[in-house]
Formats: sequence, C-alpha cells, structure tokens
Amino acid sequence: MSDVNAIEVHELIKDFKGPFRGHSVRAVDQVSLQVKAGEVYGLIGPNGSGKSTTMKAVLGLIRPSSGSCSIFGRDALKVDSRNDVGFLPENPYFYKHLTAAETVRFYGKLCGMRGQALRQRIDEMLELVGLSEARNRPLRGFSKGMLQRIGLAQALVHDPRLVVLDEPTAGVDPTGSREIRDLILNLKSRGITVFLCSHLLEQVQEICDRVGIMKSGTLVKEGRLEDLISLRDRTELILEHAPEDLLTQIRNLVEVTHGAHLLSEAHPRTTLEDLYLDETRDHSKSAHS
Amino acid sequence: MSSFPKTSFFSPSRVSIIAASTVTQLVRMKVFLFLAPVALLFVALNFFELPIYQGPDTLVPEQQLRTHKNLCLGTMMFFTSLFAIVSVALIIPSDVEDRTLYTILCKPVPRLDYLAGKLLGVILVLLMAMLVMDFLLVVTLHHRTASISTDFGRYLSDLGFKEAEVARGQAELAKHGPTWVLQYGVMAHFFKACILAAVALLISTFSTSTLFTIAAGVMVWIIGAFQSIARDGLFVDSFAGETPSLADKILSTIISLIFPDFQLFESIADASVRAQEILGDDILKLGGLTLIYLAIYTVLSWFVFADKEF
Ligand SMILES: Nc1ncnc2c1ncn2[C@@H]1O[C@H](COP(=O)(O)OP(=O)(O)OP(=O)(O)O)[C@@H](O)[C@H]1O
Ligand SMILES: [Mg+2]
Repeated sequence: MSDVNAIEVHELIKDFKGPFRGHSVRAVDQVSLQVKAGEVYGLIGPNGSGKSTTMKAVLGLIRPSSGSCSIFGRDALKVDSRNDVGFLPENPYFYKHLTAAETVRFYGKLCGMRGQALRQRIDEMLELVGLSEARNRPLRGFSKGMLQRIGLAQALVHDPRLVVLDEPTAGVDPTGSREIRDLILNLKSRGITVFLCSHLLEQVQEICDRVGIMKSGTLVKEGRLEDLISLRDRTELILEHAPEDLLTQIRNLVEVTHGAHLLSEAHPRTTLEDLYLDETRDHSKSAHS
Repeated sequence: MSSFPKTSFFSPSRVSIIAASTVTQLVRMKVFLFLAPVALLFVALNFFELPIYQGPDTLVPEQQLRTHKNLCLGTMMFFTSLFAIVSVALIIPSDVEDRTLYTILCKPVPRLDYLAGKLLGVILVLLMAMLVMDFLLVVTLHHRTASISTDFGRYLSDLGFKEAEVARGQAELAKHGPTWVLQYGVMAHFFKACILAAVALLISTFSTSTLFTIAAGVMVWIIGAFQSIARDGLFVDSFAGETPSLADKILSTIISLIFPDFQLFESIADASVRAQEILGDDILKLGGLTLIYLAIYTVLSWFVFADKEF
C-alpha cells in the first residue's frame, strides 16, 4: 500500500486550443513526476510555466492531451480518486452568499460527512485557519487572504491523504504565511502528502522534501531539495562573541591550508521576514478579525 | 483515514446537498422579490371591471371570472418561465466564471450530480414561487367569485327567477371560481417552467455566458410556444394528403427535441381557464412528458459537460 505513489504524472502533455484553428498553446510538455506518500513536493517556476495546469490535470479537472495522471494508483479522471485529495485552487472563489462556517459545511457534506462529526470538524477547521471569529460572516466581505484561508479549510475538511495547494500563501500576510507553513509541516508530520506550488522560494526551501522546477511547460530540474541546493564543497561557520584574535587565527589557518579559501566574512542578518514577525507579534491575534 | 471509498455514479443525497445549496443561493439572491409585482397585479385585478357591452345575451358573469383567470394564469406562466431561464442563467455560468466549480468538482462529486442538483434546486424554488402565486390566485379569485355571485344572484332575483333557479345559476358560476380544474392549469404552467429550466441548463453548459443563456432560453420558449404551428406549416402543409417522408419525420423529431413542444401544456391550461373537464389521463401524460423532457435535457447537458474543461 505505502509503496504506491501519492501522485504519478506520466508524460503529461496539455495543449489548449487557441482562438484560431491550429494555433494551440502547449501549457505542459512531457512532464513526468512522482510524489511519494508522505512527502512534501514543491513545484516552482515562472508565471505561465504550467504549474497550475499540471495540478489541474492531477485533480482531473482537465483532460490530458496525452499522458496520464493518477492519485494513489487511481486514474485522476475518475471521480473515486477525489476522495483522497483536498485541493486549494489559485485565487479560490466560493459562494459569496455563504458564511465561513456554511462554506466548510457545504464542502464537508459533498465529501459525505454528516452530523456531529461534521459540526466538530467545521469548528476545528475554522480554528486551524484562524477564521473562528469570522465564522458567521458571509464570504462576500472576505479579503483575499481570508478567502485563501477558507480555501485551505475546505481542502482539508475531509482529512484527505493528499493535499494539493496552488500558491497557498498568495495574498496572505506574513504571519498567516508562517502559520500556513507550520500547518503544512504539521500535515507532513501526520503522514499527509502535500503537493504545492509557490513563488515564495524561502518557504519552499524550508518545507519541501523535493522540488521540481518548471519552465515553459517542461520540468527542467527535479530532485531532493538537499541535493539540489547544497554546495558540498563549501562550509559556513557562524560564531557568537568571537574575539578578534580568534578570527585572525582562523583566517591564518585557512591561508596556510592548501586549496582552502575564505570566500566571505560578514555579520549574519536576520531576515526581513523574521524582523517583520518580531515587530508584529503582539498584533498578530487581530490580524484577521 | 478513508481507504478507497467507492463513489457511486449518481447519488441522491449528493444531488440534494447541491439542490439545497442552490435554493439557499437563489433565496439569498432575493429572487422572491419578483413575487411582489405579481401579488400587486393579482390584487389590482380584483378591482378591475371587465367592460361588458350592453346587450340582451351578453351578461355573462363567468366571462369576468374567465378573464381574471386568464390574466392571472398568463402572469404566472410568464413569470415562472422567465424565472426558470434567468435563474439557471445566473447560477451555472457564474460558477464556471468564478471557478467555484473547481472547488466542487475536485470533491468526489460526479458532474451529473452537480447538474441534476442545480436543476432540482431551481425547480424547488420554482415550486415555492408557484405555490405562493397559486395561493394568491385562489384567494383573489375566491373573493372575486363571491362578489360576482352575489351580484348575479340579486340580478336573477330581480328578473323574477325562483330561488332554486338562482341557486342553480350560482352553482354554475362557481365552476368558474377556484376549482381543482384550475389547479391543473397551474400545474401545466409549472411543468412547462421546469422544462424551460432544463433547456436553460443545457444551453448554459456550452454557452458559459449569462446573457447568451437567457437570450437562447427565451428563444426556445417562444419557438416552443409556436412550435406545432411552425412544424405543421413547414412540413405538413406541403404534403397535404401525403404521408411525410422519412427525412421530414426525422427533422421534425429533432426540432421537437431541441424546441420542446408545449402544445399539450397550453391546451390543458386553456381548458382549465374555460373550466372544461380535464381527463386524469391527460394530466398523467403531462407529468410523464415533463419527466421525459427533464431526463433528456439533463442527460444531454451531461454529455456536453462531461468533457468540458474550465
Ligand atoms: N484554460 C486555458 N486556456 C488557454 N490557455 C491556458 C488555459 N489555462 C492555462 N493556459 C496557458 O497555459 C500556460 C500555463 O498556465 P498555468 O496557469 O499552468 O501557469 P502557472 O505556472 O500556474 O503560472 P502562475 O505562476 O502565473 O500561476 C500559460 O501560457 C497559459 O496561458
Ligand atoms: Mg498558477
């Protein structure tokens, strides 16, 4: 069971018909990828490179021009495969007339959930995405980030084994973005497979086990994150309270060692993200109410 | 964790979930506001006197009632038909446009369930609207019948008719009041509106534009009303006396599928206004025909929708 890949994309090609006959756009070209169960897989690439199209094919929302996709061994075009997957589309949009709680209830019911279990799940989900305060407000008045959060809640409502997230942090504030990152790590710790795409490279780097880089419809690079980004011939030392003479000794040691070079030396900085989070921590509770 | 649950091809419970959400959607869009002008019209009609021309044999009080019924049923027919087309046109293309559909179809929801649920939701709202209008019709018509009947009784007594004869005259008049036969007419219009909703569903699956769906739906509505006349004119006239050829038969069958034939519906509605007897068989036939049309249009919509990408 566990050796079945969560997602299997096999030589996927997707052409979209253009406005004129014969003029079609190839959105995805010969993409093959596997996502193993329990893995966090990140797809990155420039705008229009075919990330969303690949995801839609995985969900069976579009029909491949050639090739195939499957979820836990089941054909993505079959309705059955969708029992195991939660999807957050890019710029999600829901029924404006429903409240947050009603929205989650609607999608829960569509997944066959009922009664007490569903009620409890709705509370959990709204709590999880930080929308408990807004549970009885209609979506008409929701901000972009709030819609993104409710989208996440509906994707997770039926506790799927696979979660597909198309730019989960788009439009979400830095605190919320950090929360979503933690949420994904939490999903991973529970053995849930995550397939996501994002333009926030630091985040992808932080959470993904494997990444694929897409460019003009093709998968140009793919592999384990560590293998892709680690520079095995370089080493970084970060010291605290190091006296100047220690540093001088180190420099001297490096100089006399054959083949070694000191490439740079600087005070490490906190990231802007960290700084922002520190500064806004107190107000974070009211970020979305 | 769920392990390989099987999703049935068609599930009434899922259809009803989507139908219920459609009803909520339409109710929250305040579509029932259109009932206000209808109510006003019905009440206003109560005060409207039909100019009866003066003549010895023209005092026909049932004529007043018939006109009242005609106008009310006509209004109901117009509003429900329009309502059926417009509400489908408002909810389906916008789901596609907003990509709300993505979030629904990526749940274990077969596309047939989605379409059937939407159609059922619209039909339920139509039913509610029809019941409200029907109630208004019965109340105003009852009121009208009572007042005309009193006048008519007084008029007959003045002419020197005996009490029994007056009562008989009034009983005859009561047949033109709110009767079960009239309900059949209301039912015919309701069924027709349901079919128009299904037609609009089919149109909206390939048009993805609200405006186009409304325009095309109204066209089918109008053509459907004149269809039998048009069909007869097109194909039978030229073959007077002869049996039409196979090609003509096929063509006319296709046309009758694209443009549903509302003649039976119209004739039952007419008969109900004229307070003529309506056979139970005809009502059954009407119901059966409606179900067949609904099934055909839903399945056709599904064929279009099944391979659609958004
Ligand atoms: N429905 C469609 N019809 C026609 N062309 C489409 C359609 N959907 C996508 N495309 C085209 O396919 C290509 C890939 O689009 P896609 O949405 O997959 O990009 P993306 O990698 O998700 O980009 P972004 O980072 O902006 O979200 C683009 O050139 C786009 O114009
Ligand atoms: Mg995209």
